[in-house]
Amino acid sequence: MTEEGHRVTAVIETSGLTKQYRRVTALSDCTISVPEGRISALVGPNGAGKTTLLRLLTGLTAPTAGRAAVLGGPPRQDPVYLAEIGFLAQEIPLYRRLTAGDHIGIGAHLNPRWDGESVRARLGGLKIPLDRPVGTLSGGQRTQVALALTLAKRPRLLLLDEPLAALDPLARQEFLAALAEAAAGDGLTIVLSSHLIADIERVCDHLILLAASRVQLCGDIETLLAEHRVLVGPRKDTTAIARTHAIVREDTTARQTTLLVKLNGPVIDPAWAVEEPNLEEIVLGYMSQDQAGHEAARLAAIGGDR
Amino acid sequence: MTWVTWRQYRFQGALAAALLAALAVVLLIAGLHAAQVWHSALAGCVRSGSCASLAGSHLSLGSSAVATLVVATSAVPLLPGLFWGAPLVAGELETGTNQFAWTQSITRRHWLAVRAGWLLLGAAVLAGAVSALVTWWSGPSNALHADAFQVNRFDVTYIVPVGYAIFAMALGICAGTLLRRTLPALAVTLAGFAALRALTALWLRLHYMTPVTVYYKLTAPVTPTGSYLAISQGWIGPNGQPPGPGTYTFGNEQVPAVCQSSMNGPHSNPLPCLAAHGYRGYVTYQPASRLWAFQGIETGIFVVLAAILLGVTFWILSRRDA
Repeated sequence: MTEEGHRVTAVIETSGLTKQYRRVTALSDCTISVPEGRISALVGPNGAGKTTLLRLLTGLTAPTAGRAAVLGGPPRQDPVYLAEIGFLAQEIPLYRRLTAGDHIGIGAHLNPRWDGESVRARLGGLKIPLDRPVGTLSGGQRTQVALALTLAKRPRLLLLDEPLAALDPLARQEFLAALAEAAAGDGLTIVLSSHLIADIERVCDHLILLAASRVQLCGDIETLLAEHRVLVGPRKDTTAIARTHAIVREDTTARQTTLLVKLNGPVIDPAWAVEEPNLEEIVLGYMSQDQAGHEAARLAAIGGDR
Repeated sequence: MTWVTWRQYRFQGALAAALLAALAVVLLIAGLHAAQVWHSALAGCVRSGSCASLAGSHLSLGSSAVATLVVATSAVPLLPGLFWGAPLVAGELETGTNQFAWTQSITRRHWLAVRAGWLLLGAAVLAGAVSALVTWWSGPSNALHADAFQVNRFDVTYIVPVGYAIFAMALGICAGTLLRRTLPALAVTLAGFAALRALTALWLRLHYMTPVTVYYKLTAPVTPTGSYLAISQGWIGPNGQPPGPGTYTFGNEQVPAVCQSSMNGPHSNPLPCLAAHGYRGYVTYQPASRLWAFQGIETGIFVVLAAILLGVTFWILSRRDA
C-alpha cells in the first residue's frame, strides 16, 4: 500500500474505517494516513464524522468495520496505549465540582509521565485559579485547563476535538502557539478538528477533509496546494478540462467560469488564467462538491425541475 | 485511583457519616432507656415470681416513633446504591467526563474496579454500622417479644443489611451502566431492590431450610420456643385431612361436622371433641436456632446476585462504546 521511498512512519493509519450507529453511518470507509510530527487539521461540515473519527482513534468507540493502527497498534484499552494519546473532547468534560488543582492530582495518580508543573505554569501564566471549582470558570478558561491537562500527559499523539470553538481570538492565537511549540519538541503528532480555516492555516501542515462521513482529502497541505489550481476563463464548455483534470468545483456567471481543479499535468488551453488557490478555497471547494452532490440527489429523488 | 475516588466522594462520605452519627445518638438514647425499663421489669417479676406473664404484659420499652425509625432503617441499604451506585457510570456518561476519565492511562475495568470497590465497601460499612446499632437497640425487645425472626426485625439486624447494601450498590452501578442515564437507573434500582426484598422477606425466606412441623394434642397446645419463624399452623384430621368444611369456626379454623354439636352454648369449646375424634394441632416453623443460618443464607443470596450484576457491568463497560 505504501509507496517505496516515501516511507515515513505513520502515526495514524486507517483503512476502510467505518462506524455505523443504529441507522446512521457516522463514518464510512475512512482511509487516512498521518505521518509522525504533523499537525493535522481535521475539517468538514457539522456531522461529517470528525468526532467519530477522533473517538475511534482514542479507542473510546470501536469501529463497525475496517481497522485503525495508531502508534503501531489498534486503539485499545491498555494503560500503555492510553498513556501515548491525549484526547480533548468537544464538550471539554471536566468534573465541575473539582478544582483545576484536583484535576492535576487526578492526572498525577492515573498517568505514568505526568507533568503537573507544566499545568501549574500554564494556568498561572493565564491567571486561571487552581483552587476554584472548574464549573465556575469561563468556557475559555475551562478549555485552557483541559488542554493543559491533556498536554501534561506528555502524549505522542494529541487528538483535539474543536478546541478553538470556546476561545476568543487572542486566546486562540496563544493556544495555537502553544500547540506549535509542543509539536516542535519531541515528535508529537497532533490532529485537531476545527471550522476555523484561517487559524488552521497558520499552524497545520496536514489536512484531513471529511464530508458526508467520507474522506474527501487527506495529505500534506503543501502537496494539496500544489495539486490544485483555480482556472478562470470565459464562459465555455468545460468538458475539455474534465478530460484531463478533475473538476472539484465549478462556478459560472453570465460572463465567466471559475473552476477549482485537481491537476493531472499542466493546463495547456491558453483561454484559462491559472491561479494558485489558498487552503480555504480548496476546503470550500470540496465541501460544496459534497453539498452539490446532495442537492443533485435530492432533486433527482423528487423528480426535480427546479 | 483510590485517591481520585476519595477526592470525588469525600462530601458524600461526610454526609453519610453525619447522618449515621445522628441516628446513633437517637438509638443510643432510646436503647439505653429500653434496657433500663427491661432490667427493672425483669427485676420486678423475679421478686414477684411472675416473669412468665411479662411477655403478655403491655410493657412499653420506649417511644413508638423510635420503633418506626428502626423499621425505616430497612431503607438504609438502598440509599448508597441509589445515590452513589446509579450515577457512578451514568453520571459520567451524562456529563461526558468519562471521556476524560477513560483516556487517562488506566483501563475502564481498572477505573470501575477501584471505584466500585470503595463504594461497595462504603455501603457495606454504612449498612453494617446501622445494623449493629439496631441489633443492639432491639435486644430488650427481642427478649420480651421474641421477634428476632419476624419481618421488619430480621431485615434490619445482624448481617443481612450488609448483603442488601452490596446488592443495591451493584444493582445501581449495573443499571446506570446499562441505561446510561441516572434517573432511569435510579428508578430501576429502587424497583429492583424493593421487588427482591419483598420476594425474599415474604416468601423465599420461609423455605431456605426444610421447616420443622410439630404435632400436638389439641387439649395441650405447644408453642415453639424463642424467636421462631411461623409458617403455618392449624388442625389436622386423623387421616391427615384438613378440618371442615363446617358451619362454625373456632379461632381461624372451621369446626368439622362431627364436632358441630359442641359449638352450641355460650362457652363452646370444640377442642376436647376434636381430640376425641383423632384431630391434632400442628405448627410448621423455622426454629429460633436457625436465625444465624438464615441470616447467612439470605446475605449469601444478595451477595451472589451482586457479584453477577457486577460481572455484567464489567462486561458491558469494556465492550460497549463509551
